Amino acid sequence: MARMTIQPLLIAAMVLTLLAGGFAVWAGWSWYGAAHDGSAAYAASRDKVLAAGEQAVQNLSTLDHKDLAHGLDMWQDSTTGDLHQQLANGRSEFEKQVQQAQTVTTAKVLDGAVTELDDRAGRARVMVALRITVQAPKEKPAAKDSRMLGELTRTPAGWKLSALGQAPVGNSAAN
Amino acid sequence: MRVSTAELKAASEPDPERDAEPDPGRDEGGAVDVAGPDSCPGGSAEVGAASPDRCPDGSAEAEAAAPDAHPDGPVESTPPTSRFRRALTLTCVFALLLVGAGLLFQARQLTDTTATSNHALTDTSATTQVIGDVSNTLGKVFSYVPQDTRATEDAAKELLGGRAAGQYIALFGEVRQRVADQKLSLTTHVVRAGVTRLTHDTAELLVFLDQRAQRDGKPATTAAAQLSITAQLADGHWQITDIRAR
Repeated sequence: MARMTIQPLLIAAMVLTLLAGGFAVWAGWSWYGAAHDGSAAYAASRDKVLAAGEQAVQNLSTLDHKDLAHGLDMWQDSTTGDLHQQLANGRSEFEKQVQQAQTVTTAKVLDGAVTELDDRAGRARVMVALRITVQAPKEKPAAKDSRMLGELTRTPAGWKLSALGQAPVGNSAAN
Repeated sequence: MRVSTAELKAASEPDPERDAEPDPGRDEGGAVDVAGPDSCPGGSAEVGAASPDRCPDGSAEAEAAAPDAHPDGPVESTPPTSRFRRALTLTCVFALLLVGAGLLFQARQLTDTTATSNHALTDTSATTQVIGDVSNTLGKVFSYVPQDTRATEDAAKELLGGRAAGQYIALFGEVRQRVADQKLSLTTHVVRAGVTRLTHDTAELLVFLDQRAQRDGKPATTAAAQLSITAQLADGHWQITDIRAR
């Protein structure tokens, strides 16, 4: 009885193996195509840049005088290059100022967009609209809408801000 | 009785006389050894030979037999190499299917994401076009001179659609009178615009604007504005359908 079932079983097994092998090859081919799709990688980079840019701009607009060390560490952690150096150099001075003013600054990103992205060079520019609220002691919190232009550079630890400034008002020639 | 025939055979063959002389001492004997000490190979006649308390009825018998006996009797008769090959084949097939499924899942994750369905920046010509159209429209509809508000309104009718058209009519109704009374002129230009989301016919943008206002005889003042814009492609032209101040 067992002998009789072996032949069809063998054929079935071979067909099954072939089908499974074919499926695996096809899947591998699809995966290879997807993994080497330039525009998909570029799109993913763009979204990463926007997320990193918005987060970094928010970090750099947030500071609590009661938690200065952590806040300023965050600032330095969100930046690289010249901006990072600037923040490191001016840190102690800035610490004194904020401790004196006793302000708590919070920020909320309203909208943001990537305006340029060079994925190879690892450079990008973002624009971010945000609302910054400054709470000074015994004063009403003051909210201010702000528009920032940032430049990001890719580092081994991800995209980080290398320059940040207000978008100039009334000076279109500079842009 | 749910005991398989193979089992019955295996149990009864080595010791045919067992049925004739039931003896509790036989627990260690041949028949019980083959089927395993827990099983109850025979029918009611053998209950005495196997441990009687374990198998009071048929169902308990089947239950007790299960761990030791193989229900697929014929497998036992196939040579071990064949069984090994069969297991190997099944393992291979299973492994291939698993690998294939994993790769497909990965491929899908790489291509079928919100990132790839958004053509902002990846489609440079479309990105440039929508920024150009939207910037032009904003410059036209938010610029006016007291002598000719009509031109601005006409431009708005043509270039704005959806919710934005209604928003604009409400806004401009208020402004129109003041424009005439105060001889107010307004010039709007786009400082910077970026596309946050772009599909084949809809787009979302963030726009930084400068608005330069001048009242008759007074120095001009410039104000900053940030707008989130939604636009829709209609007849090859991007029409603004929603404006939100930021």
